[in-house]
Amino acid sequence: MAARGGLRHGGLMRRADMRASSARRAADLGKRVEYLAFVLANDTYAVQIAYIAEILKPPPLTGVPRAPREIIGVMSVRGRLVTVIDLRRRFRLAEQPTDRKTRILLVETGDEQIGLLVDEVLQVYRLADSEIEPAAVLGGEQPAHIAGIGRPEGALLILIDLKPILEPR
Amino acid sequence: MGETGGRDALGEKAREEFFSEAQELVDGLSRDLLALDEIVKKGGDSDPDIINDVFRAVHTLKGLSGLFGAAIMSGLSHELENLLDDLRLGRTELTPPVLDLLFQAVELYGRILASVKGDEPEPQDEVKALLVAIGQTTQSRQGGGVSLVAQYELDPGLLGVLTEYEEHRLRTNIQSGLSLYRIRVQFSLATIDSALDDLKAKARPHGEIITYLPTGGGGDIDSIELEILIASRADLGTLQGAINGPNVRIEEVSKRDPSTPRTSLPAPANYGDQEPLRIKDAPPVARVLPGAVAFTVGDDDEVEAVRTPPPPGGPPSAPPAASGGGNGGGGGRELSLRSVSQTVRVDIRKLDSLMTIVGELAILRSAILRVGERVRGRPDLRELGIELHRLHRTFDRHLTQMQNGILEVRMVPLGQIFDKLSRVVRQISREHDKQVNLVITGAETEIDKLIVEELSDPLMHMIRNAIDHAIEMREERLAVGKPAVGTIALNAFQKGNHVVLEVEDDGRGMDPEVLVRSAVRIGLVSPDEAKDLSPREILALVFMPGFTTKEEATQLSGRGVGMDIVKTNIGKLGGIVDISSEVGIGTKMTITLPITLAIISVLVVEISGRSFCLPLASVEEAIVLDEGLVRTFEGREVMTQRGATLPICRLAKFFGIDPVEHVHIDHTNPSRARSFVVISSVGNRRLGFVVDKLVGQQDIVIKALGKSLKMVRGFAGATELGDQRVGLVLDIAALIEEVLAGSEARFLMTAEGRN
Repeated sequence: MAARGGLRHGGLMRRADMRASSARRAADLGKRVEYLAFVLANDTYAVQIAYIAEILKPPPLTGVPRAPREIIGVMSVRGRLVTVIDLRRRFRLAEQPTDRKTRILLVETGDEQIGLLVDEVLQVYRLADSEIEPAAVLGGEQPAHIAGIGRPEGALLILIDLKPILEPR
Repeated sequence: MGETGGRDALGEKAREEFFSEAQELVDGLSRDLLALDEIVKKGGDSDPDIINDVFRAVHTLKGLSGLFGAAIMSGLSHELENLLDDLRLGRTELTPPVLDLLFQAVELYGRILASVKGDEPEPQDEVKALLVAIGQTTQSRQGGGVSLVAQYELDPGLLGVLTEYEEHRLRTNIQSGLSLYRIRVQFSLATIDSALDDLKAKARPHGEIITYLPTGGGGDIDSIELEILIASRADLGTLQGAINGPNVRIEEVSKRDPSTPRTSLPAPANYGDQEPLRIKDAPPVARVLPGAVAFTVGDDDEVEAVRTPPPPGGPPSAPPAASGGGNGGGGGRELSLRSVSQTVRVDIRKLDSLMTIVGELAILRSAILRVGERVRGRPDLRELGIELHRLHRTFDRHLTQMQNGILEVRMVPLGQIFDKLSRVVRQISREHDKQVNLVITGAETEIDKLIVEELSDPLMHMIRNAIDHAIEMREERLAVGKPAVGTIALNAFQKGNHVVLEVEDDGRGMDPEVLVRSAVRIGLVSPDEAKDLSPREILALVFMPGFTTKEEATQLSGRGVGMDIVKTNIGKLGGIVDISSEVGIGTKMTITLPITLAIISVLVVEISGRSFCLPLASVEEAIVLDEGLVRTFEGREVMTQRGATLPICRLAKFFGIDPVEHVHIDHTNPSRARSFVVISSVGNRRLGFVVDKLVGQQDIVIKALGKSLKMVRGFAGATELGDQRVGLVLDIAALIEEVLAGSEARFLMTAEGRN
């Protein structure tokens, strides 16, 4: 084959930039995970912020007849259809009309985008491992979506595991 | 060649390319073989052009399989090449048994591809058996051919790198008494592309370029010397006159003195390591595409044979020169990796995302229109408004063109799957010892690529059923005065926004008594219910899960898990299946499908203040509801429309979104706001949907609802209606089904109750 190789190609691969990224340095400072805190019926919940693609003010929603009750409708976000789940209904909490604080957390799952309707979005907490307690401290059987309790200074967060919520029942 | 390590290195994308290219080649092969089959049946001579095509396809498959570590496939290809070579040279005759071998090979290619994909186990034993069979066919002749070439003063190094095809061309040309010439040309690297083209153009009228390769010598850093081997009838002087130039040297390749020892060609296996670089030599895509509609439109009056081979000399059969000169602009060996095809494969999801953008532009367009109207309303800005309006119209026109353009790209001719089906018919009818003629019309009918993909399995099942159950054995046919050869007609045509597919056989037809008896025996209906069934409902029994008329399932059509799945799959595509059948005459199954899934015209309606879209393709008309004409019939509301009974469905109630205040209003109360009936039909089932308001007609890009809403029935998807509002698109086929399925649901309940 080498005998045929008369022509050469010009492009040389450029060496990758090996300098350490700033992100890596930040990681060395201590393992902390960012959680987004939100309110549902007077309790504060939190979910890993890595799962949240976007926080939206609720656009007009289109209800889907004959859909499960917790699905309050669909909306279009930049051309994509998003199914919106009312977390109050999902968690069997008392219902309440939306107001100006109501937000939708946009979550990217493998197959589609899901919107989660919450009462209010609070802030981001950076929790160290030492600030997280297992759900068992609440005693008894806890629902699958409760991953643990976050105890940052001066607050109590119910940490949510999104997986059981997003799985269609 | 058998290493699998290359797989990961080449990456997923390359693998997908491999599959789609290999699949196209296999499809093309199948088409070519069917054409050959037709010729042989008519007692004609085999068409060398088609055999050449087959050879090239097999050769390319061999190269591809080498790249992807499909050792079993390259082994098969290799043996096939030998067989095909014999066919081309007339050393072996193209007989039905030989054709059978080739058809088997195509079948196995398909299965090997599936196995490489991981869908099924490698068909090792079958391939081995076929290799033995091919070996026996080719063994009958051995030797010959090679020594011819050895008589010439050709560099063994050059001979060693010839592909088998080139080797074959070389041999054929020598056999035909042409002279061989060697041309050495010095090319500048900068201009080699055009210079080589130029030279090829000059040489072509005088002979066939068999091969060209770099000599590896004589060049400086900016140039390259190629050796070109050309076979020609012309003498040296003529060639020198035709192909002259400053750096061109031409000499005749002289014959060896017979006493010198022969140089024999290396064994074919030696090519293995260089094959991968040459995969693009045969132009696969360009060759396959033009053949896609290699059907004639059959005559309705005359149910007879049907298929014509692709026109000889047409694009599918490239001239023999394709080996060396057919690269159409390729340079030396390395340059010949450039693709010859003008086509681009596009992931359909990319088209979907383009379509989404078009949809958003359409929403923008309406916004511009609104602004324009507001501006025009102001006397001081009237002129600006008119200009804006004009711009809007131009924008609108271009947008429509773009939309149509993208849609067109998604469309593929149904012929693509019809080819596969003809192969299936041939195979099954042989297995079953029934003679069946497949008559195809409308192969050129185009339909959305996504639909085509989903269609082949249901169609195949229907055809299998027809051969297995419907077409009688030869003696039985003759006894009732039917032609010995059964006919299955596969007709496709466009009807408005739908494509209609008919599978029609001239078999024994479905006997209602047998159907009912079977359904009762299996327990799908009770004997009492069976008495009340209409002829239509009786035929619909075959679509029920578990239905079969056979006491024992046959190997072919399985155990009755067929038609209900066919119906479900067609339903998923927004289509519907209907049956008509006459005992002793035959059965016709009709599939009605939407042309495309991507963009549709809808009627926007309002129900309880919410917007819904009804695909216009299924809407016949919309009329004002006259409550006085509504009657209740067995708990179901119907109205009379133009003398015919039309069942109606009040969507607000059906969806459970009826506003409370409406519930108590007397239906005959004239003060009630008037409603409309949207009369819809799919196939030949009709239903009137009662809605509150007709909003208007609109073209929409339909998007599927997410997985989280999969279990919700009755909606085909949703679309953006402007102002950020989403409108749900009704799945009319499913709704009609659901509303009208009273009797069918009754069966199902009985069936379940019994379990």
